[in-house]
Amino acid sequence: MAKLKEADLAYTNDLPGAERGNPSYFENEVIDHLLGIVLELGAQFWVLRDRQAFLEEQLAAKGVVSLEDLEHGTPSDELQAKLKAERLAMIQQVYGRLYSTYGGDKAGPTSAPMS
Amino acid sequence: MSIQDALFPRGKIAGVYPTLTTRGDEAYVEFIEDARNVLMHAQQRPIGEYSQQLMTDAGIADSPDPETTQAAIDLLMQDPTLKTYYRVKRSLQEAFWSGLSKSLNQRRDEIVAAFDAAEAAGPGTVEYDDNWRENAPEYASREIHIQPGGYVKDELAGPFYDYGLKVFLGGAADHDRLAKGVSMATAVPDDGQVSRILDLGVSAGATTIALKEKYPDAEVWGIDISAPMVRYAHVRAMEAGAEIHLRQMAAEELDFPDNHFDAVLAMLLFHELPVPVAKEAIAEVFRVLRPGGKFTVLDFPSVRSRGVYSMFFAEMDAADNGEPYLPDYVRSNVEDLLVEAGFELEHYDPKAALTRGRVVVKPAA
Ligand SMILES: C[S@@+](CC[C@H](N)C(=O)[O-])C[C@H]1O[C@@H](n2cnc3c(N)ncnc32)[C@H](O)[C@@H]1O
Repeated sequence: MAKLKEADLAYTNDLPGAERGNPSYFENEVIDHLLGIVLELGAQFWVLRDRQAFLEEQLAAKGVVSLEDLEHGTPSDELQAKLKAERLAMIQQVYGRLYSTYGGDKAGPTSAPMS
Repeated sequence: MSIQDALFPRGKIAGVYPTLTTRGDEAYVEFIEDARNVLMHAQQRPIGEYSQQLMTDAGIADSPDPETTQAAIDLLMQDPTLKTYYRVKRSLQEAFWSGLSKSLNQRRDEIVAAFDAAEAAGPGTVEYDDNWRENAPEYASREIHIQPGGYVKDELAGPFYDYGLKVFLGGAADHDRLAKGVSMATAVPDDGQVSRILDLGVSAGATTIALKEKYPDAEVWGIDISAPMVRYAHVRAMEAGAEIHLRQMAAEELDFPDNHFDAVLAMLLFHELPVPVAKEAIAEVFRVLRPGGKFTVLDFPSVRSRGVYSMFFAEMDAADNGEPYLPDYVRSNVEDLLVEAGFELEHYDPKAALTRGRVVVKPAA
């Protein structure tokens, strides 16, 4: 940097978020872990569900399926759209209740707002 | 290995995002993306109303000064539902990066080899410091969005960031739609002369490519402080057949002559800069723009348009999502910094800060 010295920016080392850290939000960090665990289990469940649906699609279409197809193929656009709807509904049904205090369990999915 | 085989072994998805290694990897990340859509994005408005009600009930003023923001943090982070929301947000972010990096790391060597092979090929050019890892400044090495390795230290920072943008925006950046919108919002001089354009902090380069597509006769330059980013942006430009010139360079130390560019863009750069760096960068843009040239800054609105809740949100994002410079940025009022540097403010609507941005013009000498 031409005019800025390293010392001018030393303060940034101490800003919140400068280091990755490992925040916990609950007094009892077991609750933090448990929430992480249920989300991870949901994701792992979904990977299996996706594979099963893809396998069924392949079998129905061809009667046989190769491991290579299952690992590296991609479901049809039609199946992907169906899976997306199923996934959104499952997430809302399983996890939505976390926000029932203020009615957030009923909030439908939206994309990130750009403002 | 060709770019195709290294980056898109299972075909391209939603434009040119790098393809994940297996269908299972993709299903995992799709779950995270939709969990974000349902459990974060859809909650943003109702959880904001809920939080603001808690603040009103506790008599917290709607002033975004640091003490009030701290009082809001102390209050809101005692609420079990809000703790859950911020826990879920952080866990989804951690899970996303872990799933993405596990998947792309399996092809790390192939991807890096494809970058190397692309380097001397055109269209367009790329240049960077050979000692990029050792020479990266500390302030630019933070793990923004808790991206592993941050923007400057990991060779795969470009593909990581690109895929991150897809997931964080819930698909709004797919098919480079966002980048095309940004190229439309980039202001050009009133006389219509557009010979040279500069894009600051290009990351994956989607916007820079869109600028070249919109102004095919202009010379389009893109800079980023990160060598991995400009390397990836070059590969993306080759894919698009766009002739753009990418350089590893700091926005606060531009290696271009005075009065050189007709238009300069900074899309989502300033909230990731410490304020002293932002000020230097603005002075540099003033120098390299020609009189009548325009500078477009697309980024979050500043403190004047934000209440204490938005400030609380920024402080939480800073601490938990690796955005250390966001709160100071929001309080800095970048539109004032631009005017202090000599620019004339031509347009700024805080409600459209991210879509139309702040547009300033360098006055005639
Ligand atoms: C959020 S990204 C920008 C997104 C991009 N403009 C787009 O349209 O998708 C921020 C980028 O700014 C770069 N950056 C950070 N500090 C910088 C600096 N001082 N000079 C130039 N680039 C910088 C980072 O490496 C990162 O790639």
